[in-house]
Amino acid sequence: MRKTTFPAVLATFVVCFLFWIVLDFSFKVEELVAGAVVSLAVALFSARFFIHEKAGWFFNPVKLFNLLFYWICIFPVELIKANVDMAKRCFTGCTNINPGIVKIPVDMKSDYGQAALANSITLTPGTMTLDIAEEDGQTYYYIHWIDVTATGKEAGDAIKGNLEKGLRRVWE
Amino acid sequence: MSDFLIFAIFFAVLAVLNLYRLAKGPTAADRQVAGDSADILVSCALVLFSLYSGRGIYLDIAIISAMLGIIDTMLVGRYLDRGRWHYDADSDHR
Amino acid sequence: MLIRIIADVLIFIGAIFATAGTIGVLKMPDTYSRMQASTCISTLGMLGAALGALLYAIFVMGSASTAIKVCVIALLIFVTNPVGAHAIVKGAYRHGIRPEKPMEVDDFRRDFDE
Repeated sequence: MRKTTFPAVLATFVVCFLFWIVLDFSFKVEELVAGAVVSLAVALFSARFFIHEKAGWFFNPVKLFNLLFYWICIFPVELIKANVDMAKRCFTGCTNINPGIVKIPVDMKSDYGQAALANSITLTPGTMTLDIAEEDGQTYYYIHWIDVTATGKEAGDAIKGNLEKGLRRVWE
Repeated sequence: MSDFLIFAIFFAVLAVLNLYRLAKGPTAADRQVAGDSADILVSCALVLFSLYSGRGIYLDIAIISAMLGIIDTMLVGRYLDRGRWHYDADSDHR
Repeated sequence: MLIRIIADVLIFIGAIFATAGTIGVLKMPDTYSRMQASTCISTLGMLGAALGALLYAIFVMGSASTAIKVCVIALLIFVTNPVGAHAIVKGAYRHGIRPEKPMEVDDFRRDFDE
């Protein structure tokens, strides 16, 4: 069983308390105290499942700013491009598709970085992550792609685009 | 004001169209994907209808609908995962 | 008035992408392509409607709790949707669901089927 560390408890507590405030949305003292007690209990019991690595990046302003920059400037551009492409395919009769599963290499060491990159790839229409495998210290993703035009490394460049560059500035 | 009502009805009609795939779909994954899409479209329709009618209760229903949608998708996904292929227990591919 | 027009345009864009996703779910030839098309609904279709509703709630209604609840709905769908999509595509592949026309490139089958 993993050990419960103080930064993990603090990070989980902050997230839980913010969620309580958002859902409740009243600022009386009693309700805030009740929310703090419940969030602390939840954080003490469940922090060791949520936070595996060092949780210090959560309070680092530079990395937080990079993450915000990724969410506001880099990711929406890729999202809109992929959505327009997918909508064109749907409106023109759903016939010009060439689906397949490709295996692409990924240069990301941290667990959180790999999860964020896989979720970003799944969230853009047209690509969907099946599985993560590791061979000889190199991480590979298996990705279902709606229009296979390349395999191997070129497919990786075409799918990941700017996403990996933006995420490497946060988790590396 | 009534433009929100028109858009809400449009989203609800799209959700009903998704139910056709839920009734017909040949496999369980098809049905689940169509049900999830209908769930999200109903959430959008509830948000727009809440703005039209000015009552906040529909927003809470939309939050609960979105939460239940993710839970049943995860359940069906994990259920399908125990299917025809059986890997070794000590394989690194789980 | 300008805010109303911008909100309507955003919701209209969302409705266009939701229509595209619905057509894809109804007409695509195999299971995995239908999943790809349904991603269109849950990203830009949902986001267009939520952004329009957010603008309206902030600038016309002036209600903070409505705005924050709309934000929570959008964020919830946006964060949890890829997790469910990943679970169901992997479950479908390992359950043995294959498209009728075999895929040209299939690295997953090459590596794990034998």
